[in-house]
Amino acid sequence: MNRRAVLQLAYWVVTAASFVGAALLVAFATPNERTMGVVQKIFYLHLPAAINTFLACGLVFIASAGYLWQRKTWWDDLAAASAKVAVLLCSIVLLTGMIWGRSAWGTWWTWSPRLTFSLVLWLLYVVYLMVRASIESEQRRAVVSAVYGIVAFLDVPLVYLSAKLLEDIHPSSITLDGSMQLALAAWFLPVTLAAGGLIAARYALNRAQRQRSGSAAPEPRGFPVRLVGDAI
Amino acid sequence: MTRTLRQIALLVAKDLRIEARTRQTLGLVTVLGILIVVVLGLGLGAQQGGVGHRATAVLWVAYLFAGVLCFEKTMSVERHDGALAGLLVAPVDRGTIYAAKLISNLVMMLAVALVVTPAGVVFFGFDLSAAPGQFALVIGLSMLGFAAVGTLFAALVSSSRLAGGLLALVVFPLTLPVVIASTQIMLGIFRDGQDLGGMALGVLGAFDVVFLAASWVMFEWVLEP
Repeated sequence: MNRRAVLQLAYWVVTAASFVGAALLVAFATPNERTMGVVQKIFYLHLPAAINTFLACGLVFIASAGYLWQRKTWWDDLAAASAKVAVLLCSIVLLTGMIWGRSAWGTWWTWSPRLTFSLVLWLLYVVYLMVRASIESEQRRAVVSAVYGIVAFLDVPLVYLSAKLLEDIHPSSITLDGSMQLALAAWFLPVTLAAGGLIAARYALNRAQRQRSGSAAPEPRGFPVRLVGDAI
Repeated sequence: MTRTLRQIALLVAKDLRIEARTRQTLGLVTVLGILIVVVLGLGLGAQQGGVGHRATAVLWVAYLFAGVLCFEKTMSVERHDGALAGLLVAPVDRGTIYAAKLISNLVMMLAVALVVTPAGVVFFGFDLSAAPGQFALVIGLSMLGFAAVGTLFAALVSSSRLAGGLLALVVFPLTLPVVIASTQIMLGIFRDGQDLGGMALGVLGAFDVVFLAASWVMFEWVLEP
């Protein structure tokens, strides 16, 4: 194995180990919540996943802006990889949230601000993936999805503000005892490692695919230059 | 400044003249809007009455679909006979082109709204007379934000084969904050008899400002013949 493969393997071993450690911590070291019982433990995955969703969305924004600025294809590959992981994490947030809601409020879905916000966020980035899939020209796809990646991220705070206009039953702050705080902190590590690792792996795959199809060559230049080139 | 305004006026007049002579879009879009109102009216049981305040949500569906068709049309006229290339080599700022397209779209949407809104009011027994000015203000602000995003993406995706479906797919989720805010304001005014909510109006205003600015900046980078 070369050095890179060893490093990758080590990374995933550490991630898996911290998942196991965090799971053991939740299973044996945290108390059962009084009213919700064992379902409350879903929270340890819910919150880290939600925060990592924002980080992944932020990365889509940065990579999209980077692409429009420099027109380098690796920015586009990075944005695509981050968006995919953002959708995955947001799906986890939605599903765990729905299971929580079923147990706490007796309903799978309610149009409360945070649920609505998560749903719209999920839709925004699912559409990002759909847009990528439906444009054939590589350069056009990169430009369209970069603009969409920027606009979608600008949309996020507005979605949050507008969702706040709806009635709320979601807990805005939760008091946790010491062992619960520790377990929550312990869950941030594996979830963040997994998110980062998945983005990196997907990015590497996107790069490899692009090189295979032979289009990692220099980009065609912008419109005015091209026009002049055609004239000559 | 006056030069820019004259350019905008010229471009808008051109778009509207094309529409006036071909009459391709407005008729189709208006009938589609009325159809949406009728289908949803039957679906929601408007014949039993008591659903007046739902008319605002139904009107939104009609405005959204009508709007997307208008955005697509005003951009696709530039795709014929290399019109866009001509426009791009003309000494006109890209921001000016954006402003002109935005105004054309707003005029067309206004024309559609002038027919579809009364249809919704009549079919749903919606009591618009409670606050017509506030209704116009909220819908106006919302349409501005919607058109700002729509005009940008119409320029982006009109060259791809899937233009129509793709444009709706892209613009609808981005416009959701506007839909949420304006429907909440409408429910407050027409169902609960409240005054105009400052917070909700702020969200609409913020959406308009953010996306007018962002679209104006990015339009320059996305327009290609």
